[in-house]
Amino acid sequence: MPASPQKCNMIRTAWRGPKPARARAALTPRGLYRTVAWTILLLGLLGDGASIAAEPASAPAGEDSPLPGNHRLDDVAAGQVLLGELGCAHCHTGLPAQALAPKRAPNLAEVGSRVSPEFLQRYLADPTDVHRGTTMPDVWGRRTPAQRQEIAIALTHYLVSQSRGTFTPEATDGRTIDQGRRLYHTVGCVACHGPRDDAGNPGTTPAANENKSDAKPDSAQPDPAQPYDEETDAEEADPAPSQRAFRPIALSLAHVPTKYSVASLAGFLHEPLAVRPSGRMPEVKLTTDESRAIAQYLLGAEPPQVAPLAPDPRQVTAGERYFRELHCGNCHAPPGAAAAPPVGGELPSQIADRGCLQHSRGGPIWYDLDESQRRAIHAALAHRDRPDQDADVVAKTLVAQRCIACHVRDDYGGVHPSHDPHFTTTEPNLGDEGRLPPPLTLLGAKLQPAWLKKVLFDGESVRPYLGVRMPQYGEENLGHLPALLARTDTLPAVDWTIPNPERESDREREREFRKAGRELLGNQGLYCIACHNFNGKEAPVNRGMELTSSYQRLQPAWFNAFLRNPQQFRPRIIMPQSWANGVAAHKTILDGDTDRQIQSIWYYLSLGTSAADPPGLRGIDTRLTVGNRPRMHRGRSRVAGYRGIAVGFPGQLHYAFNAETGTLSAVWRGGFVSANWSGQGSGDFHPAAEPVLLPQDVSLLVQDDPPTPWPRLPVMTKDNRVNPDPLYPKNLGYQFQGYRLDREGVPTFRYRLHDIAVTDRTVPAGDEPRNLLARRLQWESPTAQTVWFRVLTGEIRQTAEGEYESGRVRLSVPVSIAETLVREVADDPPPDRPRSELLLKLNLPAGTSSLELKYEPLPRQ
Amino acid sequence: MNRCRASDWRVWLCRASMWLGLLLLWGTSITQPAAHAEEVGDRWGTEEREREYYPIVSIPLPADTVVESGAFAVLPDNRVAVGTRRGEIYFIDGLDAPKPQPVFRQFAEGLDEIFGLAWHDNALRVTQSCELTRVTDEDGDGVADRFDTLSDGWGYANYHEYAFGSPVDPQGNQYVALGLSESYNSYALFRGFVLQVGADGRTTAVASGLRSPGGIGPNEQGALFYIESQGPWNCSCSLKSVSAGSFQGHPASFHWYPFAPELGEVPTQPKSGSRIVTERRRVPQLVPYAVIFPYIRMGRSITGFRVNRTQGKFGPFENQLFLGDYTLSILMRATTEQVNGVWQGACYPFREGLSTGILNVEFTPGGKLLCGGTNRGWPVRGIKPFALERVEWNGRMPFEIERITIEPDGFRLKFTKPVAAESAAQSGTYSLTAFTHPYHGGYGGPEIDRFTAEVTGVTLAADRLSARLQIDRLKPGFVYEFDLAALQSSDGEPLLHRQAYYTVNEIPQP
Repeated sequence: MPASPQKCNMIRTAWRGPKPARARAALTPRGLYRTVAWTILLLGLLGDGASIAAEPASAPAGEDSPLPGNHRLDDVAAGQVLLGELGCAHCHTGLPAQALAPKRAPNLAEVGSRVSPEFLQRYLADPTDVHRGTTMPDVWGRRTPAQRQEIAIALTHYLVSQSRGTFTPEATDGRTIDQGRRLYHTVGCVACHGPRDDAGNPGTTPAANENKSDAKPDSAQPDPAQPYDEETDAEEADPAPSQRAFRPIALSLAHVPTKYSVASLAGFLHEPLAVRPSGRMPEVKLTTDESRAIAQYLLGAEPPQVAPLAPDPRQVTAGERYFRELHCGNCHAPPGAAAAPPVGGELPSQIADRGCLQHSRGGPIWYDLDESQRRAIHAALAHRDRPDQDADVVAKTLVAQRCIACHVRDDYGGVHPSHDPHFTTTEPNLGDEGRLPPPLTLLGAKLQPAWLKKVLFDGESVRPYLGVRMPQYGEENLGHLPALLARTDTLPAVDWTIPNPERESDREREREFRKAGRELLGNQGLYCIACHNFNGKEAPVNRGMELTSSYQRLQPAWFNAFLRNPQQFRPRIIMPQSWANGVAAHKTILDGDTDRQIQSIWYYLSLGTSAADPPGLRGIDTRLTVGNRPRMHRGRSRVAGYRGIAVGFPGQLHYAFNAETGTLSAVWRGGFVSANWSGQGSGDFHPAAEPVLLPQDVSLLVQDDPPTPWPRLPVMTKDNRVNPDPLYPKNLGYQFQGYRLDREGVPTFRYRLHDIAVTDRTVPAGDEPRNLLARRLQWESPTAQTVWFRVLTGEIRQTAEGEYESGRVRLSVPVSIAETLVREVADDPPPDRPRSELLLKLNLPAGTSSLELKYEPLPRQ
Repeated sequence: MNRCRASDWRVWLCRASMWLGLLLLWGTSITQPAAHAEEVGDRWGTEEREREYYPIVSIPLPADTVVESGAFAVLPDNRVAVGTRRGEIYFIDGLDAPKPQPVFRQFAEGLDEIFGLAWHDNALRVTQSCELTRVTDEDGDGVADRFDTLSDGWGYANYHEYAFGSPVDPQGNQYVALGLSESYNSYALFRGFVLQVGADGRTTAVASGLRSPGGIGPNEQGALFYIESQGPWNCSCSLKSVSAGSFQGHPASFHWYPFAPELGEVPTQPKSGSRIVTERRRVPQLVPYAVIFPYIRMGRSITGFRVNRTQGKFGPFENQLFLGDYTLSILMRATTEQVNGVWQGACYPFREGLSTGILNVEFTPGGKLLCGGTNRGWPVRGIKPFALERVEWNGRMPFEIERITIEPDGFRLKFTKPVAAESAAQSGTYSLTAFTHPYHGGYGGPEIDRFTAEVTGVTLAADRLSARLQIDRLKPGFVYEFDLAALQSSDGEPLLHRQAYYTVNEIPQP
């Protein structure tokens, strides 16, 4: 059989511990030493006295079970799982109908570019020893070590020749390794591979540490090293699944550093199902960067350098022949190819420990099984008449795909105590609910079928606070689960009818439910939104699960049962019991009627994102801050009109420009702006500090004499909201043309004034700290013409030559201005505050000319 | 009048404002109508089967980045530009990867609610609420540095005034669809108009009578269409053809005709409570709804649309329109044809179960349908505040009504797979009912004058990929609702979507 270096589905290594010395010798990566290594290996084997399978004698608790993890499969069911995991059906017929579908072996199409040829050859020569716990059997029969070597070399050349790419090792980098270590211990790798210490060895979990006496069990956790005691167990009143001692799933990664390159391992971690279609190694939703980081971490700081292998045509031909003769293709069928015909004959109900089940090597094929596993396979074959219930199929699936490494269902599954510290959260106050994946008990009655498929197959998830990620196993492998769960998991139906606001008869109930549901969720009711995010707004206390998705995700019967008694579903949940014994805690809403209160919440949540916010929830504006470059934000604002533009500078001095009229309309110091993007907000902004307001009417007019009155923005009233002068100020010659950003990101606005092209640029100026804005206007005029510029309104005081104040702004204009005119505003000045306006007369020459103004916001008096 | 039904996201506040205005006029002390929350409508119930052919792939977004997509454009280098409600533009690379890990690069920020993007002449033309802008990266550093206002020739002064931009047509013209200020009113210049920003830089008016558009662009034959929302003068959402000088049905914008002499005379005021077929005769500029999307069954707030020109990469629906819906988080298809010079056509359910309110769609270079939007502020079925998703064809052929076209005495139905002759040959397999809407100023409205059309003859094509139906009553102004529950493909499969809706404006000559 060909090498199957991608095997990940180790069955036994989980409780084996680190490689014994003889296995390490076999890892010596130089061809020269291979023979020596082999000799040592064989000596080790012989010297061991017992077969490898006897080794579990040193295993910790629960070693008598054929499978690790907190499963409750008896030998028959475990045997049915093993028949699938070992891929027996690839070679045999006559398997019990209850056996799981055979796990597919890795796709070898690109194995030569993914796997080091050195590893490949070593692994092929002795798969079960080079990678302890692989499900790939030893297919060498009675061949001598030299013959094994010869065949392994030929197969390696053949496989490498079949790959388009070449295997290219590369150096790793330390920072990424640290990131990889964190990710490995956070996203869920630990659930199936166990924690690792700083040296990359399996962590100090008793299960993965041969020297058990050194293991320090976490005092807060049950001691996993405690041997599984059936008597004790039987005496206890059915301990919760998490409290029962069991062997952790901890598949060895010891072979990984010599097997992969950073790129190939990262590629595999990114899309494991492309190589291993059966999803036993699931996709953990890693980005390419994350995959790379974990790959670097697993390979370590100094991955071995491997010389590329140039396939020798003679070896390739021989390898191809071996591939055929050893029936490698039975398990490693290329994707889409028809399955090879079985070569192993029909499996009877009773078989001796011969052939594949032989205790030690020497038969045609040898699986590295222990006694409990042989026992289970025998049991599965012998009890082929035992009926398979839906619940059994669910349990076997959850065990085979290792869902039980993270999830509890009924009385099985759950995180092993030695893995538990690596299940983390960003919301520690949510307790285990914020940290551990949810239980799968009654899952089929809990989630809407379409939602379940989204979670299983489309990568949907709704618990952003969990460190661990729900992996993807492939629809091909779990596609049967939703229908099974729908049959196994049921709750008493509820006869809730959602009120239809369009139906006259429902209108009163609709109104009542909507009001009650909103009140119950709010801070005058049960205050659910204290710990549940609502409609994208964060809860003030704990940022627990978003509530508005409930109706999309959940089935009403489950919702009803859960709200009545959350602790029944999750004993340590921090969610209070608001209807203990069916009695409503809140008496005034809907007269304290429990059923109607829960229905009203369900109805309210059915409104989804259109549900009005419960009392106590606040939308918040988004604070926009300025980094080390200027920043612009366009949007409507009372300080700049609908076509407003805020311009912020790193020095905390900012202005607003009304692009509709071409005016600098506000100046402020402090924070930049708040933008409204909550609810229906269109990004309307307001300054984050109190602004100085300047007039927003058009400010430049090409005219020989100043117009009286100055043409003002059209006024719309509530009675007449139609714009009475819709072309203003285009009909006065103004047309906005946009802006350009310079290298520093400072905008220069561009507009036209009839035939005059204007650029308008404002920057902070003055001594540090710069506390005034310098505005430079430049004109490009085809002819000499007069322009009037209205620069200031209000109570204008001249404080020096070329210096005016109005309110909290001081404006400086060049003394060379042709004419400055401060005049009273005739129309509607407030009676107690005579208003005036400052007009500048500019005699523009033909060609280019410019003007500089300075705006200085003054402190409040 | 049924004011309580609509929940169109663009309409919602109009209505709130309208109530507010009324309340203020009445001098009451109520400051804000209670937020009117409502259930968004029944599902098709086909999501689980749809995913077997058209899976939805979530596009990972950069951490801490809000991407409320409002517009897309494919760039010459095959990246896709996305413009957001928050005024940012990102260039996205790698959207078509089997497992997407796209790279987002911010091209511009600080713009005002982007509902139109088009790459033209080495620049991105961006439709913001305030203007149409040509955005250029002059120094080539990958970040925009030049923003030229191509047109701001419309009023923008009220809360609900959104602007939607079309792609650039082969002549270099671009179109902007401008919603009314409120459902019933046009307060600012040209609200309710389609404007053309010509290749010569001039802005001219093309059409009036819009209410609350959700998208504008070419149909499968390159003719300009926009999508209209349910509301006054529109009992359902609909696709409408935009021809020069046309009036699209809502008379609130008539008072701007003096500012647009190119549109000609002000149309005759339509009569509320009439029928579109009747008013078409009275008001020559009035364009009938080309494809009516029966309200709620086929969307509540339809938004951006694109023609599938993926050359088969997206499956069997080449040269068809794909449209997103904001409220229901669904995708639909439409086909159009011109009969006697008037556009009409059909709409079909396509995919439900998207994660957020869809504001726009775009086909990627790889032939996948990119969908994005937000669920903020208005009722939306999808639960995510914002999302980018990719719908892709997995190569399996769904059994669907490929398209319906009209015949002088009935319809021709094309299917994506051969039909089983025994069911397809029976006239009883085809259930057809027809209805029309009142054409009135009320908000939304019922389906009325419903009748059952008898199928009097079925002619199955030799390849069993199409069937010609003769029916007893073919009436202009009616929507024909097909229900083919009993139809099976030759391999015994029922239709993925058994319903389709054809809007008849004209009947071809024999």
